[in-house]
Amino acid sequence: MGTTSNFRWPWQYDFPPFFTMQKNADTRFKQTEAWCSLILDYHNHHKLFRLRVTDVLASPLFYNKAIDRRLTKPDVIEILSILHKKGNIEWEDKEKTVCKVFWKTPAQWSDIIFKWVNQSGLNNTVCTLHEITNGPHSSDQEFYALDDQILMQAIQILQASGKAELMGTEGVKFFT
Amino acid sequence: MGNLFSSKPKPKPSRVTPQDRAILELKKQRDTLRTYQRKIENDQEVLKRLAKQCLKDGNKNKAKLLLRKKKRQETLMTQTEQQIDNLEVMANDIEFAQLESNVFEGLKVGNESLKAMHKLMSYEDVEKIMEETQEGIEYQRELDELLAGSVTQEDEESILAELDDLVGDKEKIQNLPDAPTDELEQKTEARKEKKQERTLLEAS
Repeated sequence: MGTTSNFRWPWQYDFPPFFTMQKNADTRFKQTEAWCSLILDYHNHHKLFRLRVTDVLASPLFYNKAIDRRLTKPDVIEILSILHKKGNIEWEDKEKTVCKVFWKTPAQWSDIIFKWVNQSGLNNTVCTLHEITNGPHSSDQEFYALDDQILMQAIQILQASGKAELMGTEGVKFFT
Repeated sequence: MGNLFSSKPKPKPSRVTPQDRAILELKKQRDTLRTYQRKIENDQEVLKRLAKQCLKDGNKNKAKLLLRKKKRQETLMTQTEQQIDNLEVMANDIEFAQLESNVFEGLKVGNESLKAMHKLMSYEDVEKIMEETQEGIEYQRELDELLAGSVTQEDEESILAELDDLVGDKEKIQNLPDAPTDELEQKTEARKEKKQERTLLEAS
Protein backbone atom coordinates (compact mmCIF):
# COMPACT_ATOMS: atom_id res chain seq x y z
CA MET A 1 0.00 0.00 0.00
CA GLY A 2 1.09 3.61 -0.47
CA THR A 3 3.56 5.03 -2.91
CA THR A 4 7.02 3.53 -3.06
CA SER A 5 8.92 5.68 -0.78
CA ASN A 6 10.47 8.97 -1.13
CA PHE A 7 10.27 8.46 2.59
CA ARG A 8 13.29 9.99 4.30
CA TRP A 9 14.87 7.42 6.54
CA PRO A 10 16.68 8.72 9.61
CA TRP A 11 20.46 8.41 9.60
CA GLN A 12 20.27 5.59 12.15
CA TYR A 13 18.56 3.40 9.57
CA ASP A 14 21.85 2.89 7.75
CA PHE A 15 23.76 2.41 10.99
CA PRO A 16 24.03 -1.36 11.69
CA PRO A 17 24.10 -1.15 15.53
CA PHE A 18 20.66 0.49 15.36
CA PHE A 19 19.23 -2.96 14.61
CA THR A 20 20.77 -4.56 17.71
CA MET A 21 19.38 -3.64 21.09
CA GLN A 22 22.04 -1.81 23.05
CA LYS A 23 23.09 -2.84 26.58
CA ASN A 24 23.84 0.62 27.96
CA ALA A 25 20.58 1.95 29.44
CA ASP A 26 21.12 5.48 28.19
CA THR A 27 21.97 4.41 24.66
CA ARG A 28 19.14 1.92 24.64
CA PHE A 29 16.66 4.64 25.63
CA LYS A 30 17.79 6.86 22.77
CA GLN A 31 17.64 3.88 20.45
CA THR A 32 14.08 2.88 21.36
CA GLU A 33 12.95 6.52 21.14
CA ALA A 34 14.38 6.73 17.63
CA TRP A 35 12.59 3.49 16.70
CA CYS A 36 9.31 4.82 18.10
CA SER A 37 9.43 7.98 16.02
CA LEU A 38 10.58 6.04 12.96
CA ILE A 39 7.58 3.71 13.24
CA LEU A 40 5.15 6.62 13.57
CA ASP A 41 6.77 8.62 10.74
CA TYR A 42 6.78 5.58 8.49
CA HIS A 43 3.09 4.89 9.07
CA ASN A 44 2.26 8.56 8.68
CA HIS A 45 4.15 8.81 5.40
CA HIS A 46 2.49 5.75 3.93
CA LYS A 47 -0.87 6.52 5.53
CA LEU A 48 -0.94 3.16 7.28
CA PHE A 49 -3.19 2.75 10.28
CA ARG A 50 -2.69 -0.89 11.14
CA LEU A 51 0.37 -3.00 11.85
CA ARG A 52 0.55 -6.77 11.74
CA VAL A 53 3.67 -7.92 13.53
CA THR A 54 4.42 -10.92 11.29
CA ASP A 55 4.03 -8.83 8.12
CA VAL A 56 6.03 -5.90 9.32
CA LEU A 57 9.08 -7.96 10.31
CA ALA A 58 9.89 -8.47 6.64
CA SER A 59 8.95 -4.93 5.57
CA PRO A 60 11.60 -2.27 4.91
CA LEU A 61 10.63 -0.71 8.22
CA PHE A 62 12.39 -3.40 10.26
CA TYR A 63 14.54 -4.94 7.57
CA ASN A 64 17.20 -2.86 5.85
CA LYS A 65 18.19 -4.90 2.83
CA ALA A 66 21.06 -2.59 1.87
CA ILE A 67 23.01 -3.28 5.04
CA ASP A 68 21.35 -6.65 5.65
CA ARG A 69 20.18 -5.90 9.15
CA ARG A 70 16.81 -6.70 10.70
CA LEU A 71 15.17 -6.17 14.04
CA THR A 72 14.16 -9.38 15.79
CA LYS A 73 10.56 -10.08 16.78
CA PRO A 74 11.12 -9.70 20.56
CA ASP A 75 12.78 -6.32 19.93
CA VAL A 76 9.86 -5.22 17.75
CA ILE A 77 7.43 -6.28 20.49
CA GLU A 78 9.46 -4.36 23.05
CA ILE A 79 9.37 -1.16 21.02
CA LEU A 80 5.67 -1.60 20.29
CA SER A 81 4.99 -1.95 24.00
CA ILE A 82 6.79 1.37 24.57
CA LEU A 83 4.54 2.94 21.91
CA HIS A 84 1.58 1.32 23.64
CA LYS A 85 2.54 3.03 26.90
CA LYS A 86 2.78 6.35 25.06
CA GLY A 87 -0.73 5.78 23.70
CA ASN A 88 0.39 5.64 20.09
CA ILE A 89 -0.73 2.10 19.43
CA GLU A 90 -3.63 -0.03 20.54
CA TRP A 91 -3.55 -3.82 20.39
CA GLU A 92 -6.52 -5.34 18.62
CA ASP A 93 -6.10 -8.82 20.07
CA LYS A 94 -4.85 -10.34 23.29
CA GLU A 95 -2.09 -12.22 21.48
CA LYS A 96 -0.62 -8.91 20.31
CA THR A 97 -0.40 -9.76 16.64
CA VAL A 98 -2.21 -6.73 15.18
CA CYS A 99 -2.35 -3.16 16.44
CA LYS A 100 -3.75 0.19 15.39
CA VAL A 101 -1.11 2.85 14.92
CA PHE A 102 -2.07 6.37 15.96
CA TRP A 103 0.42 8.74 14.39
CA LYS A 104 -2.33 11.17 15.26
CA THR A 105 -4.49 10.52 18.30
CA PRO A 106 -8.26 10.16 17.81
CA ALA A 107 -8.61 13.52 19.61
CA GLN A 108 -6.34 15.16 17.06
CA TRP A 109 -8.30 13.56 14.24
CA SER A 110 -11.56 14.80 15.76
CA ASP A 111 -10.18 18.36 15.76
CA ILE A 112 -9.09 18.12 12.14
CA ILE A 113 -12.42 16.66 11.04
CA PHE A 114 -14.46 19.25 12.89
CA LYS A 115 -12.39 22.06 11.39
CA TRP A 116 -13.21 20.66 7.97
CA VAL A 117 -16.91 20.45 8.93
CA ASN A 118 -16.88 24.13 9.86
CA GLN A 119 -14.95 25.17 6.78
CA SER A 120 -17.25 23.36 4.41
CA GLY A 121 -20.41 24.37 6.25
CA LEU A 122 -21.46 20.82 7.06
CA ASN A 123 -22.91 21.82 10.41
CA ASN A 124 -26.45 20.45 10.83
CA THR A 125 -25.81 18.11 7.94
CA VAL A 126 -26.00 14.36 7.79
CA CYS A 127 -22.93 12.63 6.36
CA THR A 128 -22.12 9.00 5.80
CA LEU A 129 -18.91 7.89 7.43
CA HIS A 130 -17.87 6.58 4.04
CA GLU A 131 -18.09 9.99 2.40
CA ILE A 132 -16.02 11.61 5.14
CA THR A 133 -13.01 9.44 4.45
CA ASN A 134 -13.65 8.46 0.84
CA GLY A 135 -15.91 11.11 -0.65
CA PRO A 136 -14.98 13.60 -3.35
CA HIS A 137 -15.29 16.49 -0.89
CA SER A 138 -12.47 15.30 1.32
CA SER A 139 -9.98 13.97 -1.21
CA ASP A 140 -7.56 16.78 -0.37
CA GLN A 141 -7.93 16.29 3.38
CA GLU A 142 -5.47 14.65 5.72
CA PHE A 143 -8.11 12.22 6.94
CA TYR A 144 -8.85 10.93 3.45
CA ALA A 145 -8.78 7.11 3.59
CA LEU A 146 -8.58 7.24 7.38
CA ASP A 147 -9.14 3.91 9.08
CA ASP A 148 -12.83 3.28 9.85
CA GLN A 149 -12.28 2.42 13.49
CA ILE A 150 -10.09 5.45 14.13
CA LEU A 151 -12.71 7.62 12.41
CA MET A 152 -15.35 6.10 14.68
CA GLN A 153 -13.25 6.91 17.76
CA ALA A 154 -12.73 10.49 16.58
CA ILE A 155 -16.45 10.97 16.00
CA GLN A 156 -17.27 9.50 19.39
CA ILE A 157 -15.07 12.24 20.86
CA LEU A 158 -17.06 14.84 18.90
CA GLN A 159 -20.26 13.20 20.09
CA ALA A 160 -19.17 13.43 23.72
CA SER A 161 -18.72 17.19 23.35
CA GLY A 162 -22.06 17.56 21.56
CA LYS A 163 -20.53 18.50 18.21
CA ALA A 164 -21.85 15.44 16.46
CA GLU A 165 -24.30 12.63 16.85
CA LEU A 166 -23.75 9.19 15.45
CA MET A 167 -26.59 7.63 13.50
CA GLY A 168 -25.91 3.95 13.84
CA THR A 169 -22.55 2.85 12.53
CA GLU A 170 -22.74 4.37 9.09
CA GLY A 171 -23.80 7.97 9.52
CA VAL A 172 -23.26 11.06 11.58
CA LYS A 173 -24.94 14.42 11.97
CA PHE A 174 -22.67 17.36 12.70
CA PHE A 175 -23.66 20.35 14.78
CA THR A 176 -21.98 23.62 15.67
CA MET B 1 -30.19 3.62 17.41
CA GLY B 2 -27.17 5.60 18.57
CA ASN B 3 -27.86 4.44 22.11
CA LEU B 4 -26.96 0.92 21.14
CA PHE B 5 -23.37 1.88 20.57
CA SER B 6 -22.63 4.54 23.18
CA SER B 7 -21.98 3.09 26.59
CA LYS B 8 -23.28 5.87 28.84
CA PRO B 9 -26.87 7.13 28.71
CA LYS B 10 -27.34 10.38 26.85
CA PRO B 11 -28.48 13.33 28.94
CA LYS B 12 -29.87 15.26 26.00
CA PRO B 13 -32.57 14.02 23.65
CA SER B 14 -31.39 13.03 20.20
CA ARG B 15 -31.09 15.87 17.75
CA VAL B 16 -31.49 13.52 14.82
CA THR B 17 -34.83 13.92 13.07
CA PRO B 18 -36.64 11.30 10.99
CA GLN B 19 -35.77 13.47 7.97
CA ASP B 20 -32.10 13.12 8.88
CA ARG B 21 -32.48 9.36 8.79
CA ALA B 22 -34.08 9.58 5.36
CA ILE B 23 -31.18 11.74 4.15
CA LEU B 24 -28.70 9.25 5.56
CA GLU B 25 -30.41 6.42 3.67
CA LEU B 26 -30.18 8.39 0.43
CA LYS B 27 -26.53 9.23 1.02
CA LYS B 28 -25.74 5.64 1.83
CA GLN B 29 -27.28 4.59 -1.47
CA ARG B 30 -25.20 7.24 -3.19
CA ASP B 31 -22.04 5.86 -1.58
CA THR B 32 -22.94 2.40 -2.81
CA LEU B 33 -23.38 3.70 -6.34
CA ARG B 34 -20.07 5.52 -6.15
CA THR B 35 -18.35 2.31 -5.14
CA TYR B 36 -20.10 0.61 -8.03
CA GLN B 37 -18.74 3.30 -10.35
CA ARG B 38 -15.25 2.56 -9.13
CA LYS B 39 -15.80 -1.09 -9.93
CA ILE B 40 -16.96 -0.25 -13.46
CA GLU B 41 -13.98 2.05 -13.99
CA ASN B 42 -11.70 -0.73 -12.91
CA ASP B 43 -13.47 -3.26 -15.16
CA GLN B 44 -13.11 -0.94 -18.12
CA GLU B 45 -9.39 -0.62 -17.56
CA VAL B 46 -9.06 -4.40 -17.45
CA LEU B 47 -11.20 -4.87 -20.58
CA LYS B 48 -9.14 -2.31 -22.47
CA ARG B 49 -5.93 -4.03 -21.51
CA LEU B 50 -7.29 -7.45 -22.44
CA ALA B 51 -8.53 -6.17 -25.81
CA LYS B 52 -5.10 -4.75 -26.57
CA GLN B 53 -3.53 -8.05 -25.66
CA CYS B 54 -5.95 -9.94 -27.92
CA LEU B 55 -5.12 -7.65 -30.86
CA LYS B 56 -1.46 -8.30 -30.28
CA ASP B 57 -2.12 -12.03 -30.34
CA GLY B 58 -4.09 -11.62 -33.56
CA ASN B 59 -7.44 -12.52 -32.00
CA LYS B 60 -9.44 -9.69 -33.53
CA ASN B 61 -12.86 -11.19 -32.85
CA LYS B 62 -12.24 -11.54 -29.15
CA ALA B 63 -10.91 -7.99 -29.01
CA LYS B 64 -14.11 -6.76 -30.62
CA LEU B 65 -16.20 -8.68 -28.13
CA LEU B 66 -14.26 -7.19 -25.23
CA LEU B 67 -14.66 -3.66 -26.59
CA ARG B 68 -18.39 -4.24 -26.96
CA LYS B 69 -18.51 -5.26 -23.35
CA LYS B 70 -16.61 -2.10 -22.45
CA LYS B 71 -19.10 0.01 -24.41
CA ARG B 72 -21.97 -1.59 -22.50
CA GLN B 73 -20.32 -0.70 -19.25
CA GLU B 74 -20.00 2.90 -20.38
CA THR B 75 -23.77 3.23 -20.68
CA LEU B 76 -24.02 1.61 -17.27
CA MET B 77 -21.67 4.27 -15.98
CA THR B 78 -23.79 7.17 -17.26
CA GLN B 79 -26.90 5.53 -15.83
CA THR B 80 -25.22 5.24 -12.46
CA GLU B 81 -24.18 8.87 -12.68
CA GLN B 82 -27.81 9.81 -13.28
CA GLN B 83 -28.97 7.74 -10.33
CA ILE B 84 -26.40 9.42 -8.08
CA ASP B 85 -27.64 12.77 -9.28
CA ASN B 86 -31.25 11.79 -8.50
CA LEU B 87 -30.30 10.71 -4.99
CA GLU B 88 -28.39 13.92 -4.36
CA VAL B 89 -31.25 16.08 -5.62
CA MET B 90 -33.61 14.24 -3.29
CA ALA B 91 -31.28 14.60 -0.29
CA ASN B 92 -30.75 18.29 -1.04
CA ASP B 93 -34.50 18.82 -1.31
CA ILE B 94 -35.10 17.26 2.10
CA GLU B 95 -32.26 19.29 3.62
CA PHE B 96 -33.66 22.47 2.15
CA ALA B 97 -37.22 21.69 3.22
CA GLN B 98 -35.89 21.19 6.75
CA LEU B 99 -34.21 24.58 6.60
CA GLU B 100 -37.40 26.14 5.30
CA SER B 101 -39.41 24.67 8.12
CA ASN B 102 -36.85 26.15 10.55
CA VAL B 103 -37.25 29.53 8.90
CA PHE B 104 -41.02 29.17 9.19
CA GLU B 105 -40.69 28.33 12.90
CA GLY B 106 -38.52 31.43 13.34
CA LEU B 107 -41.04 33.62 11.60
CA LYS B 108 -43.84 32.19 13.72
CA VAL B 109 -42.03 32.99 16.95
CA GLY B 110 -41.20 36.47 15.69
CA ASN B 111 -44.79 37.06 14.69
CA GLU B 112 -46.08 35.98 18.07
CA SER B 113 -43.71 38.24 19.98
CA LEU B 114 -44.66 41.11 17.70
CA LYS B 115 -48.31 40.45 18.47
CA ALA B 116 -47.58 40.42 22.20
CA MET B 117 -45.83 43.75 21.86
CA HIS B 118 -48.80 45.19 20.02
CA LYS B 119 -51.10 44.10 22.80
CA LEU B 120 -49.06 46.31 25.15
CA MET B 121 -49.69 49.36 22.96
CA SER B 122 -53.33 49.79 21.88
CA TYR B 123 -54.13 51.97 18.92
CA GLU B 124 -56.28 54.34 21.01
CA ASP B 125 -53.51 54.83 23.57
CA VAL B 126 -50.97 55.67 20.92
CA GLU B 127 -53.38 58.05 19.24
CA LYS B 128 -54.06 59.78 22.52
CA ILE B 129 -50.39 60.05 23.38
CA MET B 130 -49.54 61.39 19.92
CA GLU B 131 -52.32 63.98 20.19
CA GLU B 132 -51.09 65.08 23.58
CA THR B 133 -47.55 65.27 22.30
CA GLN B 134 -48.70 67.41 19.39
CA GLU B 135 -50.48 69.75 21.80
CA GLY B 136 -47.36 69.95 23.90
CA ILE B 137 -45.30 70.88 20.86
CA GLU B 138 -47.75 73.61 19.88
CA TYR B 139 -47.73 75.04 23.38
CA GLN B 140 -43.95 75.05 23.45
CA ARG B 141 -43.85 76.96 20.17
CA GLU B 142 -46.16 79.62 21.51
CA LEU B 143 -44.02 79.97 24.58
CA ASP B 144 -40.90 80.33 22.42
CA GLU B 145 -42.51 83.13 20.41
CA LEU B 146 -43.50 85.02 23.49
CA LEU B 147 -40.11 84.74 25.08
CA ALA B 148 -38.18 85.73 21.95
CA GLY B 149 -40.10 89.05 21.71
CA SER B 150 -41.67 87.71 18.59
CA VAL B 151 -39.96 89.04 15.51
CA THR B 152 -42.76 89.68 12.99
CA GLN B 153 -42.70 89.94 9.23
CA GLU B 154 -42.61 93.78 9.36
CA ASP B 155 -39.72 93.78 11.77
CA GLU B 156 -37.88 91.48 9.45
CA GLU B 157 -38.40 93.91 6.55
CA SER B 158 -37.12 96.93 8.46
CA ILE B 159 -34.10 94.99 9.55
CA LEU B 160 -33.32 94.15 5.94
CA ALA B 161 -33.74 97.82 4.91
CA GLU B 162 -31.30 98.90 7.57
CA LEU B 163 -28.83 96.38 6.39
CA ASP B 164 -29.14 97.72 2.84
CA ASP B 165 -28.47 101.27 4.06
CA LEU B 166 -25.37 100.16 5.82
CA VAL B 167 -24.10 98.45 2.71
CA GLY B 168 -24.89 101.67 0.66
CA ASP B 169 -22.94 103.87 3.09
CA LYS B 170 -19.94 101.71 2.86
CA GLU B 171 -20.00 101.97 -0.94
CA LYS B 172 -20.31 105.79 -0.74
CA ILE B 173 -17.26 106.02 1.45
CA GLN B 174 -15.29 103.97 -0.97
CA ASN B 175 -16.24 106.35 -3.86
CA LEU B 176 -14.79 109.49 -2.24
CA PRO B 177 -12.00 111.23 -4.27
CA ASP B 178 -8.40 110.96 -3.06
CA ALA B 179 -7.24 113.66 -0.73
CA PRO B 180 -4.94 116.27 -2.45
CA THR B 181 -1.31 116.02 -1.33
CA ASP B 182 0.54 118.87 -3.15
CA GLU B 183 -0.95 121.75 -1.24
CA LEU B 184 -0.05 120.29 2.06
CA GLU B 185 3.56 119.91 1.06
CA GLN B 186 3.79 123.56 0.01
CA LYS B 187 2.37 124.62 3.32
CA THR B 188 4.88 122.64 5.29
CA GLU B 189 7.66 124.11 3.20
CA ALA B 190 6.40 127.61 3.94
CA ARG B 191 6.24 126.78 7.58
CA LYS B 192 9.80 125.55 7.50
CA GLU B 193 10.96 128.80 5.93
CA LYS B 194 9.14 130.84 8.56
CA LYS B 195 10.72 128.75 11.27
CA GLN B 196 14.17 129.34 9.81
CA GLU B 197 13.53 133.06 9.61
CA ARG B 198 12.44 133.07 13.24
CA THR B 199 15.54 131.27 14.41
CA LEU B 200 17.68 133.66 12.44
CA LEU B 201 15.90 136.62 14.02
CA GLU B 202 16.35 135.21 17.49
CA ALA B 203 20.01 134.55 16.88
CA SER B 204 20.74 138.12 15.75
